Amino acid sequence: MFTFSESPAPVRSDIPESFRRLWDTVAEPGPALTALQRHVVLDLARTGTPEPSDAGGLPRALLELAQVLYTTPASFDYTLVARASRDAGYPATVEVIALVAILAAVDGFHRALGVRLEELPEPGTGDPTGRIAKGLAPRRTHVPMPRGAIPVALDLLPDVGATYRSLFGPLYMTPAEMGSSTFSRTPGLDRAQMEVISSRTSLLNECFY
Amino acid sequence: MLRESAIAFDYEFDPATIADPVAPMHIPGGEMLRRFVDALFNHPGISLQTVRDEILDSLGPEALIDSCSVFGNFEMMNRVAEGTGIPLSPREIERQTDLIETLGLASP
Repeated sequence: MFTFSESPAPVRSDIPESFRRLWDTVAEPGPALTALQRHVVLDLARTGTPEPSDAGGLPRALLELAQVLYTTPASFDYTLVARASRDAGYPATVEVIALVAILAAVDGFHRALGVRLEELPEPGTGDPTGRIAKGLAPRRTHVPMPRGAIPVALDLLPDVGATYRSLFGPLYMTPAEMGSSTFSRTPGLDRAQMEVISSRTSLLNECFY
Repeated sequence: MLRESAIAFDYEFDPATIADPVAPMHIPGGEMLRRFVDALFNHPGISLQTVRDEILDSLGPEALIDSCSVFGNFEMMNRVAEGTGIPLSPREIERQTDLIETLGLASP
């Protein structure tokens, strides 16, 4: 799993290690969704196939959110979140946003490198964990979250937020590295070169944040 | 971030070149990295394989991996931002006003 044997360049070991940990986590039940429901969301986002007859009991609005956010984030709007939250609740909606975003990171890396996408992990069994932060509300945001910047945006679901943040170091920079404008991977890209990639990607996704 | 890091590295970078697909960026390999992202967004006339090979040859294998990983990271971050609707702080908007206007990102 995540061997990158077809890669045109050696892949830093921290990347496949983080992806393997991620796949293990994704295969388990989440805070609001079963492992099977998580698998349905990821599969639908990636394949774009019509809603399966057995969609794991997930509301159509939640599946539509997953599909649009994965395939065309530039056309994403608040009404998708509002409908999903109304039909499935905030925790399930945040979990789907997180799953799709994390899948976009893994698949984006593979597409950029020109290697085949990794198969989704087989879903495990068990009930959702129910680990959901208490006392949060939307704060001029689509979903409840604590005060802070984008690293805490998914912290309605603390475990999910931690999983999301675990990708920052391998894929971009650790929080300590982000504090340095002159950070450079040696050998590799310096921070300005990295920000060319991040800025152009955000511009084409029509995301200013 | 880009503006601050370009200044830190003494690159004569103009933020408007992020929105311009052909303008010189005055960052080593900048045009190539910008073209790499454009290829990933299927812009016509740009071969992803060709740009990937260019990065490999010009900047090295580690730089190619960094380019792919940063792209993946921002595919994720952009979706988290869009999905959760997290806003820029008023302070950040004020700090970035000129960039917002340069890139034509102000809301109508």
